[in-house]
Amino acid sequence: MKVLMVCSGGMSSTIVVKAIRVEAEKQGFPIDIKAVGTSEFEDEVKLGYDLVLVAPQIRHRLNVFKKQAEGLNVPIEVIIPMGYTPVGAPKALEQIKKYQK
Amino acid sequence: MTAFFEWLEKYLLPPMTKLSEQRHLRAIRDGIISTIPMIIVGSFFMIIAFPPVPSWAAAVKPYVGKILLPYRLTMGIMALYAAFGIGYSLAKSYKLNELSGGSLAVVAFLLTNLPVAVSKPDLGYVLPLANLGGSGMFVAIIMSIFAVEVLRFAKEKNLTIKMPEGVPECVSSSFAALIPAAIIITTVFLVRVVANFDIQQFIMNLFKPLVYAGNTLGGVLVPTILITLLWSCGIHGDSIVGTVARPIWLTLLDANTKAYASGAAVLPNIAPEPFFQWFIWIGGSGATIGLVILMVFSKSKYLKDIGRASLLPGICNINEPVIFGAPIMLNPLFMIPFILGPVVECLIAYGAMYFNIVARPCILAPWTLPAPIGAYIATGGDWKAIVLVCINFAIATIIYYPFFKAYEKNLLKDEEKNMQAETVSVSK
Repeated sequence: MKVLMVCSGGMSSTIVVKAIRVEAEKQGFPIDIKAVGTSEFEDEVKLGYDLVLVAPQIRHRLNVFKKQAEGLNVPIEVIIPMGYTPVGAPKALEQIKKYQK
Repeated sequence: MTAFFEWLEKYLLPPMTKLSEQRHLRAIRDGIISTIPMIIVGSFFMIIAFPPVPSWAAAVKPYVGKILLPYRLTMGIMALYAAFGIGYSLAKSYKLNELSGGSLAVVAFLLTNLPVAVSKPDLGYVLPLANLGGSGMFVAIIMSIFAVEVLRFAKEKNLTIKMPEGVPECVSSSFAALIPAAIIITTVFLVRVVANFDIQQFIMNLFKPLVYAGNTLGGVLVPTILITLLWSCGIHGDSIVGTVARPIWLTLLDANTKAYASGAAVLPNIAPEPFFQWFIWIGGSGATIGLVILMVFSKSKYLKDIGRASLLPGICNINEPVIFGAPIMLNPLFMIPFILGPVVECLIAYGAMYFNIVARPCILAPWTLPAPIGAYIATGGDWKAIVLVCINFAIATIIYYPFFKAYEKNLLKDEEKNMQAETVSVSK
């Protein structure tokens, strides 16, 4: 499953993405997850993803992201705040699994 | 307290986020951010030109002029780079040709300058660099917006030269910018040269009060409080407030760097962005590193886990893990020290620089450096900056302490209850 996570500069999301990868491996869940900053989002999302997760601190940009991904038919959701920490990776993964095809 | 958060969500967030998502402001933000790598690297040459060790400084002194050239052609002309970035971003948001947007913005900005003929030695026409730097930032902003709006207007009104079918797209799109380019160049030429109206001075004067205000104590406290209020609601405060404040911060920084390069003992401004980055946001917005360290030694397992996971990112000033993990977001207990700590830090740091006890910042260092190192570099190597960081760190930690203890007590109660519940269910 291909997941894109977007935060402001791509820094904090990288930390969370790392933790999610570790958790997914532990659970044996195949995941290909990448973190980008806001400015890279528009080009990156066109490469084809199954799910976009938006960091909670930029949730006010959700509509901008939705517009940028218009026509791509990819679900975009704000990640639950408590899932946006290295410790919260199980919660984040739970949220991701809901979109499993 | 919940009512207060509701009030914030209802009245503070919508206008602030809406403002930061405004198309032109967004283009300004993205355009200016694209110049940051040049400013960071360029300002680093300051350290080479003026090393903090006196014997080294004496050794490089004959070469200072040459060493500072990379600074002069990066940070020294940052408005030129910003013009391209803003024009590019704004054109992109309108789904116009980005490169046309960028280069038209540069043209509009450059035309507000008057090249000077230098005959001895014969250099031909020379473009003075003075107004291409931070002082020209607002000129770059206004001229870029003007250029891209003309481009958009021309496209909407179909004022383009149509190319026959079969002409490659890159050729036809360069012709598409022909009429807008003609409008922009002629207009700026008529105003600047024919009417002899100094566009730069006019725009600079217009924004002078804003730049001045940004350097006052109030101008330091307002962004600090807004940023921490926004983060308390879990919204990226810096990115929103920075959208409006960064051009001001860069203008203030540039004036300091210029003064530093010319050997001034006291720099003109206190409050460029490094002031906030190194002396206020120690460990991230809200000065959370002290709280993280308290958490590492907590008796509560949950706080300890979050504290450990947040420690390394925190040293690099990334604090989303603790903001969303502890959580600080929407947590009435932590909201008070999260705002109060930085406010007190501001008062101390502003005072220390106002009375010239600590050097004022003139170098932009990467924001992921640990605060004492960043502060040392940013002030051009003043060891007292490290002391100031330590004092502010200690004060923020003390302010967090009682609130941390109260929160820990609550969590310990819950954890104990859960343990008991688990033991009961196991023994069943």
